Amino acid sequence: MPIEILRENVRTAHQELARSINGHADHPLHQQRTAALDAFLEQGVPTTRHEEWKYTNVLPFIGIEYAMTLCTTCFITDAECARTIGPIADALESGWRIVLINGRIDRAHSSIPEHVPGLRILPLTDATIAADARIAGVVGSNAPAQSHPFVAMNLALADQGVVIHVDANVRLERPIHIACIADTRTSHRLSTPRIVVVAEQGSSFDVVESHHTIGDMTALDVTVAEVSVAANAHVRYHKVIDDGESMRHIGSTSADVARDGSFTAHTASLGGAFVRNDAAVRLCEPSSQGFLFGTSVLQGHEYADNHTTVDHCVPHCHSEELYKGIYDGSSVGVFNGKIYVRPQAQKTTAYQSSHAILLSERAQMNSKPQLEIWADDVKCSHGATTGQLDEDAVFYLQSRGIDAAKARALMTYAFVAEVIERIELPSLRQHLEERIAEKLGAEPFAE
Amino acid sequence: MTPILSIQQLTAGIEDREILKGIDLVVNPGEVHAIMGPNGSGKSTLASVLAGREDYAVSGGSVTFMGKDLLDMSPEERAREGMFLAFQYPIEIPGVSTANFLKTAVSELRKHRGLDPLEPAQFLALMREKMKLVEMDSSFLNRSLNQGFSGGEKKRNEIFQMAMLEPTLSVLDETDSGLDIDALRIVAGGVNALRSSNNATVVITHYQRLLDYIVPDVVHVLWNGRIVRSGDASLALELEKRGYDWIKNEASVEA
Ligand SMILES: Nc1ncnc2c1ncn2[C@@H]1O[C@H](COP(=O)(O)OP(=O)(O)O)[C@@H](O)[C@H]1O
Ligand SMILES: [Mg+2]
Repeated sequence: MPIEILRENVRTAHQELARSINGHADHPLHQQRTAALDAFLEQGVPTTRHEEWKYTNVLPFIGIEYAMTLCTTCFITDAECARTIGPIADALESGWRIVLINGRIDRAHSSIPEHVPGLRILPLTDATIAADARIAGVVGSNAPAQSHPFVAMNLALADQGVVIHVDANVRLERPIHIACIADTRTSHRLSTPRIVVVAEQGSSFDVVESHHTIGDMTALDVTVAEVSVAANAHVRYHKVIDDGESMRHIGSTSADVARDGSFTAHTASLGGAFVRNDAAVRLCEPSSQGFLFGTSVLQGHEYADNHTTVDHCVPHCHSEELYKGIYDGSSVGVFNGKIYVRPQAQKTTAYQSSHAILLSERAQMNSKPQLEIWADDVKCSHGATTGQLDEDAVFYLQSRGIDAAKARALMTYAFVAEVIERIELPSLRQHLEERIAEKLGAEPFAE
Repeated sequence: MTPILSIQQLTAGIEDREILKGIDLVVNPGEVHAIMGPNGSGKSTLASVLAGREDYAVSGGSVTFMGKDLLDMSPEERAREGMFLAFQYPIEIPGVSTANFLKTAVSELRKHRGLDPLEPAQFLALMREKMKLVEMDSSFLNRSLNQGFSGGEKKRNEIFQMAMLEPTLSVLDETDSGLDIDALRIVAGGVNALRSSNNATVVITHYQRLLDYIVPDVVHVLWNGRIVRSGDASLALELEKRGYDWIKNEASVEA
């Protein structure tokens, strides 16, 4: 039974972790790990009978024997690292880079700033958590460990992930790039990067999370990012999955937002055999805002499932969701968008839309909006469309001398550009424009 | 003189229905031809077949364009060889700006003709010059192609594109319909300004009105998939006076 094997392997890896932190098993982080292990074991691995995993079958890659514990032989040279992270690292060259190998910070490949006022980048360890109550308070505060078995699994095995802490009123001019590399050269690899982001009052910055594999064996990346956005702080969290066939990714990005603050998440799924991403924002104080965006450009047998949750807990908050996807070959997309508007959350505005274009008859899209609105004085809307490319428009472009393939590429590119244009980090926006144009066979636009 | 366009016994249709039932038409350099006819007679079908729309199957006959077999070419090849169709119903293309679209189209055309792409400044200057021709505001350049344009703006945009692409043969499919008299004058002025002894224009229209501004050398009446009568500009005036029934009756007697 593959599910049983995974449970046992997670349990064993957890025990090994307990031994490696020798004697600190009563530390707060480890207590959370142990509670999370129980939550994972209790929930088990979801099958498609589980409502939240209805379209998304993880069983094909759950039975694989993954290496999970610290890899002492996974040495990556500078050149290999550069090749693996590739173009996105070049695009974000001006930023600070944190490289995680198999879920753990690798200082040698990282450019962690030591003396930037107001910025601290720390490893997520028992010592870090024991020393800082503010950071400790964020771990497990909004990632849904009780309802998402992989989020629980991630915390059960969380070790040497990364903590980003930005002081009040600090505005970072450069993005923080977290590049997660799974080393699958000698074994299949399950890694559990955990990212904690704390934005103090009035701070503002961009984080980019990207995922990569080195090697041809299977990688299962189970990544959880938890963000705390204090009053009037603004965090833009970008996630890019643009890797090869060995990549399987299950991720969760969630944030709590305080008064006048905003959280923006953008998820780009441009490659990788399997991507499941849960993006969630909880608007906890009045006048806070949440923006969830997604772009999927898939072909072959690629798969991307975006689950979103927007939770309006208080009055006068605003949220917007826009997900767009282009599916070619036999690729499959899923969008599931939950919006909760609590009884007290009057004057909420919440807008959600999900649009897909299927370029082939074998491609599929499944969309499901789920709005639960308990307040009466609100403005909420949702819309989901799935369609084909407008062939009349293709002909129109052809009649002006543009060949059919290029016409299709221009139109599909324009379709997702609406999302990409909303990325405020110019270096990343340009990188994604180029990557998407390349994948679609369109020339990037001059403007 | 080699004709620009020579159509012989062209038959075409959709599924098992024949729409064009044997068209003959020769257009020489410098000429303007008008094709008139009641709704449903096959005018747009003829325009679509010339532009290469795949929905229509050609079942017989031939079309020679500048000495080459037109029916053998893809729609984009026809455009690059100098064929232009101003659509009766221009398509809206969200997210593709008019400027970017034209930049791509013009550079494809230039590539086909062995020319280097224009410098951005040159291209911009060219666009501004040609927009003046149809009195289009430059704010349209950054808007999505035809999206949210009024009927008249769409038609003017067609002529603007024609001006940018400098075709050898322009087929204007009811470019006048839905235009008020001022817009009509602007559109016709644009078309006239682009006329030369090296190109030709086929104006498809339902009304004689346009032909006061674009004066045709030859007028054809298309009815029921056939050109049933051809004449000079006075034929259009006669049609305006007597209506199409007169032609229909004559044609059915002949058939
Ligand atoms: N795509 C199509 N599918 C089915 N019938 C068509 C199609 N295009 C044209 N027709 C038919 O062919 C005839 C000619 O149409 P059309 O060429 O549009 O005429 P016109 O432009 O002269 O008004 C009409 O009877 C029309 O219904
Ligand atoms: Mg018509």
